[in-house]
Amino acid sequence: MSNATLSVPPTTAPRARRKPARQWRVKAALSVLVFVSLFPYLFALGTSVKDNLQFAENYWVPVLPFHFENYATAWEQIQPYMIASVVVAAFSIIGIVALSLVAGFVFARYSFPGRKFFFVMIASLMMVPNITSLIPLFVMMRDFDLLNTYAVLIIPHVANGVVIGTILMKTFIEGIPQELFDAARVDGANATRLFRSVMTPLSLPVIGTVALITINGVWNDFFWPLLTITEDELRTVSVGLLFFNGQSGTEYGPMFAGYLLASLPLLLLFTFLSKYFLAGVQGGLPGSH
Amino acid sequence: MVATTDAPPAASPVRGPEPTGGRRRRKIPWLVYLALLPLIVVLALFQYYPAFSGIFRSFYEWNPGMESTFIGLDNFSRMMDDEIWWQSFKNLGFIFAFGVVAWVIPLFAAELLVTLRSQRAQFVYRTLLIVPMAFPGVVTALVWSFMYHPNNGVINKVLTAVGLGSWAQNWAGDPSFALWSLLFIGFPFIAGLPFLIFYSTLQNIPKELFEAAALDGVDRVRRFWSIDLPLMARQVKLLFFLAVIHTLQYGFMAYIVTAGGPDNATMVPVLRMINVAFQGQDWGYAATLSTTLFLFTMVLSTVVVFVKRSDSSTNAKGL
Repeated sequence: MSNATLSVPPTTAPRARRKPARQWRVKAALSVLVFVSLFPYLFALGTSVKDNLQFAENYWVPVLPFHFENYATAWEQIQPYMIASVVVAAFSIIGIVALSLVAGFVFARYSFPGRKFFFVMIASLMMVPNITSLIPLFVMMRDFDLLNTYAVLIIPHVANGVVIGTILMKTFIEGIPQELFDAARVDGANATRLFRSVMTPLSLPVIGTVALITINGVWNDFFWPLLTITEDELRTVSVGLLFFNGQSGTEYGPMFAGYLLASLPLLLLFTFLSKYFLAGVQGGLPGSH
Repeated sequence: MVATTDAPPAASPVRGPEPTGGRRRRKIPWLVYLALLPLIVVLALFQYYPAFSGIFRSFYEWNPGMESTFIGLDNFSRMMDDEIWWQSFKNLGFIFAFGVVAWVIPLFAAELLVTLRSQRAQFVYRTLLIVPMAFPGVVTALVWSFMYHPNNGVINKVLTAVGLGSWAQNWAGDPSFALWSLLFIGFPFIAGLPFLIFYSTLQNIPKELFEAAALDGVDRVRRFWSIDLPLMARQVKLLFFLAVIHTLQYGFMAYIVTAGGPDNATMVPVLRMINVAFQGQDWGYAATLSTTLFLFTMVLSTVVVFVKRSDSSTNAKGL
């Protein structure tokens, strides 16, 4: 680098001065912050391929041979929890999208008496944190005899998800040019056809956002599945991990492997759909819309 | 949500371009109400009913499935004397205050990040810094409770390795350290909404402003105090209220890492409420606690809505 600086003619001096200043100090500081932020997870990754002897002898560094069978062991134990979470997320997404797409379409494209009233009644639920209705909702579900079913896991996600879902869908559908609807109508499409053939395909991005918010919610929901589910095969990942943690005891390799396997779906979504993922994370906060 | 920001505000042709308005108005409403009916039923049954039933039941000695007696404000007066409940709010206040002070680190990180000239480097560092957000909360709690593990935990191993073995503690199990252990989960606290908001606000400050400042010989530190911070005031205000609401719901970290213990040192309102209901089977009193929490949150949420309304430029989504 010093060679380069020497050979630069004086006319381009400002450029030459800027070039060596690659902001190493800023980058070093940021790298330290990245390392500290990620350290617990990196440690988990390193330990997940060790057996207990390697863990005792080489606490800090990953050592050969890697024990990938830890992941197989962990998978066997957390697989039912993962399946339960996937089922809950899938049905919740279907329910939320079905309800809120129709509602969003109606609110965005039709005028009718009570339109504003209904929308305010829906949107104001954004401010109600679901933890505060946990107790009455639990009693209600128990009275309905729904404890230890998929329904008890799915219903609250749908009831919460439709609120933000409807708001997002409405805003999105309002942004679709009216000409598209007019053109379809001129061609003889009725409301159902408009909904199915014009609106639904156009709404795929916002459906994706709603799906991500839901998946994130299912993977992070803790108290509700903890309190309503006692049957092991219905436990979702968040609660299942706690029980898995109790079982794996001092087998640190499989324990960390299990944590990472449970995180994998969200990590993959984060990697490939980062933009929607962040929208989903922020969508979970009241007042962020 | 991404696309919504692109939509021009003018494009809300709700009532305007309805060419056959007259005919439609007669024909559509029933269909419209029919289409909304499923949503309304779901919300009435699983959102409105539980919320109101919770408020209603807080005046009862509630024995679900059996006879419940109306006891007026007894539950509330009992709450006033409930030391654990108020202790839990004290802890919560501490958690909140610490959380706000800890914004210094994400703020610092955001400042460092916008200082980078290369957009590519900014993207890479930003992404790496927020990766912890992609881990489920439970995993973060479990990994960190391993960090605090008395024998094999990372923190005690580090202390031993640098010759400070005598400082090693049962971090999460000692009443004087347990709350601090909870607070330090997720250190350095960058992966989260505050960082994203700080960063996007700083990014949205017009470059001309910085160039003008640079011409006037303003250095980086001065720029931070005179330009960056004043321009972020609104976002910080919003973030502040969001953090209050977020903190009121704090609970699962405490449940997993310390279970509210030892000796209620890390008790928080949500945990207290759940304990009263599920261990004490005292449903009416739990409903009272939950109603109180609900009221606190409602008041604060309303404040947020008003703060937001006066500030349409707040846009954390414009990442």
